[in-house]
Amino acid sequence: MAVHKGRGISAIEYPTGMNQNGDPSQAWIKIKPDGRVDLFSGTADIGNGSKTIQTQIVADTLGVPYDWVTFDNSNTDSSPVCTGTFASRATFVAGMAVKKAAESAKAKLLEIAGKELEIDAADLEVADGEVTAKGAPQKKISVADVAVAATWTHGELITGTGAHLNPYAAIVDPETGRVDLPPHAAISYAACAAEVEVDDETGHVRVTRLVQCFDVGQAINPTLVEGQIEGGAMQGLGLGVLENCYPYYPSVEHRGAQFGSYLAPGMEDLPQVDTLIIENPSAGGPYGAKGIGEMANNPQPPAIAAAVHDAIGVWITELPITPERVLRALDAKQEPRRDGKLVAFDEELSVNALSDGGMKFEVPA
Amino acid sequence: MKAVGARLPRYDGVAHVTGRTMYVDDIQVPGTLWTKALRSPVDHADITGVDLSKAEAMKGVHAVVTWKDVPLLEYGHLSALGIPADEPLLAKEKVRYKGQPIAVVAAEDEETAQAAVEAIGVELEEKPALFDVRKAFDTDAPKVHHWGNWYPHFEGEMDRRQIRKGSIDEAFEQADLIVQGVYRPAAIEHVPIETQVCQVVPEADGRLTVYSCTQALYFSMGVVAAHLQVPLNKLKFVGGTVGGGFGGKVDTATETVCALLALKSGRPVKWRWTREEEFLCSSTRAPWHMEIADAVTKDGWILGRKMLTLHDSGAYARFSPYGLTKHSFHHTGAYTIPHLEFDGYVVFTNRVPTTAMRGFGVTSVSFAVEMHMSRIALELGLDPFEIRLKNANRKGDTSPNGIAYTDPSTIPTIKAVADELGHELSADYRTATSEPRTGEWLPEHLVGQLGNPEAH
Repeated sequence: MAVHKGRGISAIEYPTGMNQNGDPSQAWIKIKPDGRVDLFSGTADIGNGSKTIQTQIVADTLGVPYDWVTFDNSNTDSSPVCTGTFASRATFVAGMAVKKAAESAKAKLLEIAGKELEIDAADLEVADGEVTAKGAPQKKISVADVAVAATWTHGELITGTGAHLNPYAAIVDPETGRVDLPPHAAISYAACAAEVEVDDETGHVRVTRLVQCFDVGQAINPTLVEGQIEGGAMQGLGLGVLENCYPYYPSVEHRGAQFGSYLAPGMEDLPQVDTLIIENPSAGGPYGAKGIGEMANNPQPPAIAAAVHDAIGVWITELPITPERVLRALDAKQEPRRDGKLVAFDEELSVNALSDGGMKFEVPA
Repeated sequence: MKAVGARLPRYDGVAHVTGRTMYVDDIQVPGTLWTKALRSPVDHADITGVDLSKAEAMKGVHAVVTWKDVPLLEYGHLSALGIPADEPLLAKEKVRYKGQPIAVVAAEDEETAQAAVEAIGVELEEKPALFDVRKAFDTDAPKVHHWGNWYPHFEGEMDRRQIRKGSIDEAFEQADLIVQGVYRPAAIEHVPIETQVCQVVPEADGRLTVYSCTQALYFSMGVVAAHLQVPLNKLKFVGGTVGGGFGGKVDTATETVCALLALKSGRPVKWRWTREEEFLCSSTRAPWHMEIADAVTKDGWILGRKMLTLHDSGAYARFSPYGLTKHSFHHTGAYTIPHLEFDGYVVFTNRVPTTAMRGFGVTSVSFAVEMHMSRIALELGLDPFEIRLKNANRKGDTSPNGIAYTDPSTIPTIKAVADELGHELSADYRTATSEPRTGEWLPEHLVGQLGNPEAH
């Protein structure tokens, strides 16, 4: 009886935005008489940090300090459409909407500034809350003074609206699944290594280390990106070794109805998590960002399962990898059926093992 | 100072950690009624009678709502995309899963609401239930859904999602080895700390204010407006701050029912699911059944993949057809495989309907594909990093549905992990990049699939 160590890896990809696209987001901005910025977005923040991310994007695009921008997603009377916070779309699709709203507000801001400075708006730029003439930075006016002038001199309100919609990709051939346009806003990539210890007496699998590298396009906020990746790792760990709504699946009996009887990961399950970030920019996202919120829980389960095989020599292909499954697999020591070219694993799990009505998964022998 | 790229603190972080964030459950409206639901106690039954008289007569009960009170009873999660609806807001003639709501009560307090629920007389004629997705998939299985056991509306009238590319027969013929396996990740709960909750206030001007924990304000507002058959200006959704969603709060679980109760009673109404309801009655991540047979060469090229996926949708379709389509688009994972034959089915059973969850449609296929890659590497005696680098998608390679990859990072992410672990790659692989294929990286079988990475 011993504890065995193992390591496994995985490499994954995941789309940003709704599959087949066609999912709009909109935003609008107004500037207060002292230059401070109100951003109205319809994007719910589910803990993913979209309030922070969208505020950062607007601050830089408009050229004002981050703490000048107030984010409001509180209600549908003042905020426009956002398809929603899902499909890893809040940073990319909704981020593009707020970026475009900021660009639109900036154009109006520069138009008013141009009147004040008597310089063509095209020859002006704005950064850190100051509008300056390109190539002649001594000619300048603060954004606050532009807002004052807009309100009291020119009788104008500085606003901007923005909307983003990646066009819907239709399936043009249902037989092959071919589409007429890219069915994603972007694709993100990740690789993961899991290290485990497996106790062959109790069947317990402990994940000791996860090494993960994600291509995020551009980390709008590295701290929040790392939070997504590390939080996702724990959710993936839960999927890999702990959680199951139906402990006797496919039976629906004996479901856990409380935290005491449903094993979600807790702090004691936290392994060493090493996070690596690559920034390979997307062509269409705000500042090159891609969405990685969801895929953060995808690479761990297969890496853990491969690590378990590396440790004790059995493949467990039904999740979660519970102590019971480990011990049963160790008892069975199942080998694949080898027949000519064919190496067939898991035949007892196949639809072929249950089918009476003729539905089979057929592979040439 | 540049904000983009900076480690700025979370906008709402201080409010969260000091308990000052206002979640839906923190909203207090005087005169609010509490909601409880009568839920099906069985997995599958015909409803032969519902008697509300005792419940409605109880002191403190202000409204009882059943299917008869819903202007548009069936409105699907994907109705806006033109996909037919299959799920009644409240059960009408049948219940198809344990926990399915049949009637809801609004009363002065939780205890009265619960007592009223227990006073509703319901007669059920139990029917056989199906739980094994493989059995439900089989053609001789008893039918558990009025559409049959397979979702029949892909592209209007198809009963499966198909992907076809190249020639799978050719791949199997040319293969040195055909590796076959079955992969079955479990259903899991979203486990939000904030259970499903909403508060609806009927305003003096006739509008309804809906305090909602939805992940998608306009989507949920559209769902409520459709069921109630009212224009959007009759509704004001208040929210945007969610106490954990993970996909489960894309379902509009409580808002419509509370709106109906508020309209019927003329009072503010609140419904907060108990932890038991959240675990047992809210939708889950789907359990998936995936079978893969890969045609491979001795030196580790994946020539072709045949795949069968059964997506256990539970009792109703919800977002499952969308999830399966997304799954099919990504069934080659991070690799380029020229010959493909994929068939996927959304299969109905009598479990709680499944729905979106973080990684929807792809978490499952990532598990299947990556375990399969690990097995193939071992069967062939190849390094698990190197077989992945070999088959990794590169610029100009095409996806299962024929779209060229523009900015893949499979190779750099794998190499970064190998470096971090101190795993030595052989010289060929150390210098591999994502640039378009040439030379030894462009074997005969990958020539025909190439696309134009600049095309979009």
